[in-house]
Amino acid sequence: MTDIVTMLTLNWQSIIGIIIGGLCIAVGVHFVPVGGAPAAMAQATGIGTGTVQLAAGSGLTGLLAAGYMYMTLSAAGEPGISQIILICATGAVGAMIMITVTMLVGNWVYIYGVGVPPASAKRDYDPITGNPQAPYVAAGTVGQGIPTVCFVSGAIGGLLGGLGGSLIYCMLMWVNGDPAISSIFAIGVFLVNAVLPSYNIQGTIEGFHDPKFKRLPKAILACFIASLLCGIIAVTIPGAAMLGGA
Amino acid sequence: MSESAETANQVDAKGVVVGLVGIYLAGISGIPYLAFFAGIGAVFATKMGADGVRRVCSYGIGTGVPSIGMLALGMGLISAMFGLALGKMYNVVFIGPIVGLVVAVAIGWIVGTLANKIIKLNIPVMERCLMEIAGAGVLVMTGLSVMIAGSMDFVVITEKVIATGYIAPVFILGALGILHPFNASLGPDETQDRTLVHAYSCGAIAMVIGGVCSIAVIDPIAGIISTVIGLAIWYVTFMGFVKLVKRDAGAGYVGTGLLPPGAM
Repeated sequence: MTDIVTMLTLNWQSIIGIIIGGLCIAVGVHFVPVGGAPAAMAQATGIGTGTVQLAAGSGLTGLLAAGYMYMTLSAAGEPGISQIILICATGAVGAMIMITVTMLVGNWVYIYGVGVPPASAKRDYDPITGNPQAPYVAAGTVGQGIPTVCFVSGAIGGLLGGLGGSLIYCMLMWVNGDPAISSIFAIGVFLVNAVLPSYNIQGTIEGFHDPKFKRLPKAILACFIASLLCGIIAVTIPGAAMLGGA
Repeated sequence: MSESAETANQVDAKGVVVGLVGIYLAGISGIPYLAFFAGIGAVFATKMGADGVRRVCSYGIGTGVPSIGMLALGMGLISAMFGLALGKMYNVVFIGPIVGLVVAVAIGWIVGTLANKIIKLNIPVMERCLMEIAGAGVLVMTGLSVMIAGSMDFVVITEKVIATGYIAPVFILGALGILHPFNASLGPDETQDRTLVHAYSCGAIAMVIGGVCSIAVIDPIAGIISTVIGLAIWYVTFMGFVKLVKRDAGAGYVGTGLLPPGAM
């Protein structure tokens, strides 16, 4: 029979892992170019949906990739640190693929469907390509589509989100050894850490070149506390096998 | 947002009491045919969450209404499973839902404080509404899980709800029930009774799907009872919603009847 104190003392490393994962997600949210409803009407730069949908989409894709990698690697025994690095890398790549495909196809729709040139309204020149942006921003809008800098920023955001999600998953697998409980908990911790930063950016951001990116420290502090709390609760839950179940 | 017919305290009291009583009736009795009570509890908890969303989102949180529903179920999921697992660890299964509720309210208060004090959203009702929304998240998750599994035992729920993957529809339908009513009804002509009757009908849809899931894992008759009761609640509340939509549409609503025979 297990009790809370034993679970906490045995699994304190997992709490640290969950906090690191939560912070990765919080930082990742700031990188993803989220445009919200205005972007859906091609009146703002970014992907035309909310932060949570994007974070959840990329996080879950990352989690699927990480879960598959975990299954493959754990066939040879309990995964150690080097395996966990591989699993997190797989999760990160999975999330990056999802977010970049979304941005690429979204851009096709903006360019060929809506007929707007991707342009950022937050900078006069694209920080990566150096192309002028201001002449291409339609009057009365705050940019359209996903220009290069936003695309690169979004890929970094996907990487961090997938990394954080799969790290949390691995940490929970260490604790309870049950893939179903671990993945559903990873989703819970993921959502808390994705929604708090989205309040910080008030729903829209263009990427690392956006002035709102400077608000990052506030989100890191808030998510540190929230992840600590979620971590403490999550590691005290044993798997069904430890409780004498199937 | 117009004036409220029901105060926040009334909605919360109903949500918590009916939610917990429903879960306990279904969980303690051990009779699978009574599992639908937990679903009814979840429907009332959905309404409590929708009212919290309604009050906090009328301030304009900038991220869209869905984010707060996902936050609710994120916090609710962790707390609900913690409560049930704690009950199992100490062999007092029946404390599970109450522990989950208390933990969720605590997390909700902390997250609300973080949002107000650190992220500086400065919404006066933030703490209170996040406590309600997280509490509703726990009651919806626990209610639907207990309805599907027919038990409050964490091991049984793990086996019948989580490992089978039914937790995914429970999660997303629970979140939709909390976030969708206000998201669909918001605007200057939003009225509380219309939003909340919509919350009942969304909760009832979650109950119907939960009932279908439980056909496979517990007694088929118990699953069918839950599904049929859910459908009945959905029909009544959805008709009520349509009636209120017509009322609020006021003079702008004109019945057009069926298409003329020539147009069919």
